[in-house]
Amino acid sequence: MSEQRVVAVRTDRVWKVFEHDGIAVDAVRDVSLEIQRGEFVVLAGPSGSGKTTLLNLLGGLTAPTRGAVWIDGQELTAMKERQRARLRLERVGFVFQAYNLLPVLTALENAEFSLLLRGVPAEERKRKVQELFQRIGIGGLEDRRPSKLSGGQQQRVAVARAVVGEPALVLADEPTANLDSASSIALLDVMTTLNEDLGTTFVFATHDQRLMERARRLIRLVDGAVESDTRRPSTKGA
Amino acid sequence: MAARPWWRIGWRNLGRNRRRSLITIAALAVGYFSVVLLVGWWDGVVVEMINNGTGILSGQLQVHSAAYLPDRNVYETIGGPDGTDVTAIIAGVTADPAVEGAAPRVYGGGLVSFGNATTAAAFLGIDPELEPRVSRLMDALSSGRPPARGTNEILVGVEMARILGVEPGAEVVVVAPAVDGSLGNDLFVVSGVFTSGLADLDRTFALLPIDALQALMVLDPGRVHEIAAAVPDPWDAPAAATRLHSALGATDGALAVESWTDLRPELVEYAQLSQSFQWVLLVIVFGMAIFGVANTMLMATFERRHEFALLLALGAAPRGIVWSVVVEAIALGAIGLLVGAAVTGPVLVWWHNAPPDLSWLVGDFTMAGALVRPVLRVEYPWSMAVQSALALFATAALAALYPAMRAARVPPADTLSGR
Repeated sequence: MSEQRVVAVRTDRVWKVFEHDGIAVDAVRDVSLEIQRGEFVVLAGPSGSGKTTLLNLLGGLTAPTRGAVWIDGQELTAMKERQRARLRLERVGFVFQAYNLLPVLTALENAEFSLLLRGVPAEERKRKVQELFQRIGIGGLEDRRPSKLSGGQQQRVAVARAVVGEPALVLADEPTANLDSASSIALLDVMTTLNEDLGTTFVFATHDQRLMERARRLIRLVDGAVESDTRRPSTKGA
Repeated sequence: MAARPWWRIGWRNLGRNRRRSLITIAALAVGYFSVVLLVGWWDGVVVEMINNGTGILSGQLQVHSAAYLPDRNVYETIGGPDGTDVTAIIAGVTADPAVEGAAPRVYGGGLVSFGNATTAAAFLGIDPELEPRVSRLMDALSSGRPPARGTNEILVGVEMARILGVEPGAEVVVVAPAVDGSLGNDLFVVSGVFTSGLADLDRTFALLPIDALQALMVLDPGRVHEIAAAVPDPWDAPAAATRLHSALGATDGALAVESWTDLRPELVEYAQLSQSFQWVLLVIVFGMAIFGVANTMLMATFERRHEFALLLALGAAPRGIVWSVVVEAIALGAIGLLVGAAVTGPVLVWWHNAPPDLSWLVGDFTMAGALVRPVLRVEYPWSMAVQSALALFATAALAALYPAMRAARVPPADTLSGR
């Protein structure tokens, strides 16, 4: 029982098959994973290896063709879309490569969005977001619209939005792909700190070598299947 | 789930493509302006028709002997052969709160001759003092003056004057069958000539002092065919007729109290036709507007597929997405309504108080037997203004539903992956 409580996400022989022009393509093949709370996991592999698809499966954004996925102990495949949406809202944070923030909302409004949907009172939302903004180095930018933020600042706002609700896991798909080196390193520092200080579970899909070097668990995918799954000690500050 | 973020997002999205939003707002405002102004103008035409149809001669309400209509039998005077207390009936009629004035009338028919010219005529005996409170015929004098009580004077229509070749001051012979079987005839002086604009009226009608016509037709002073009454708002007349029916003791069947809606059903039908036309106009204009708004919202939602996918990925319920799109459209509608009302209001007031007169261009014309001046006078179409506002909101919301439902069905994983 105690082991089950620390599992953030688990998959059991998961397959995802896409149809392209009548031809079935196995994007994810027979993947069984268990990611504990507090892990800092990188899914690595070449383009087309199934990283993003597996990330989407782990976050309940797409349903597996076969197999099962559990988030925080709840099995997704039996759920209706409305229930999956609720689960994502309460248990999963997302950071995407692009299209990350709503341009019509301020940084604070973007970051508090999931809390707002969860019905958290305004004062509490504001306090949590402001504390988080201070922690990740974007304090004072609360009232700016995304168009007035740099790419790195936007991604930090996205990270704040993903972690502010204290989800079971945060899934990040190529979060540094659109950033320059300095911004990438700063963002990685933020996420590493959040992982180590707050115990936030991160699962990344990337081929950014710097991110792979920071991973405490590196899962390599080839043609939709797990090729290797290795663990190593923390590399904070690298 | 809180509705506030969807209002915020919907409202702020309006400013993202301002030119497109402004064009859509302008389309909705023009739609509102067109419907309200056209309906107001059409209402103005109908009011003009009813006012002229009832105000020039007939009045909005009439009291007769129950047997007088439809044949207008000269023997069927109010109260029968013994006549009635005309003053008392007039007092009873004017006691009704909707009635502004009442006047007695006697009708007859006969001939008018001048020299070798003779023409058939319908005679209307009027009280020169009371009649102007009921009808406007004596306001339409092209020459001379109204006939005076206690004199043998006659007011003729312009066409009758032309046929007879008379002018004010001419002495004509009037011949009319009397109720005692004799043939009444006398000399009358033309006091004036009226021009109603209605060809039949101008050709056949002649107005005489009521006492003179009663004398000609051997009718006692207490014998009149009609008490005509004016009701300033013609649509109050049916209810006033019902009240007077009881108040005048007409329940015994001796008296008939009828409003213009009974006497001129063609005018009522025209008003109803006009209302149907207004609804057709409303449906056409806002039906067209639906496609404009739908096009705008489809383009807007297509451009924001990634944002909707992001919201869904974050755990937003599809109905929240629908709501944000509908809110955006409703906000477009609200601004369109404000702009439309801001433009429509002053134009309505202006055209109501200073209507453009196109008489110089097309002249007067008649519709459903009533004179209509080509004056673009608009009435204040309050109910249609409210209905158009509701239609505008409904248009905006309906037009947004399909794009909103499409937006809510965006597959988040595929869309965010660029598939």
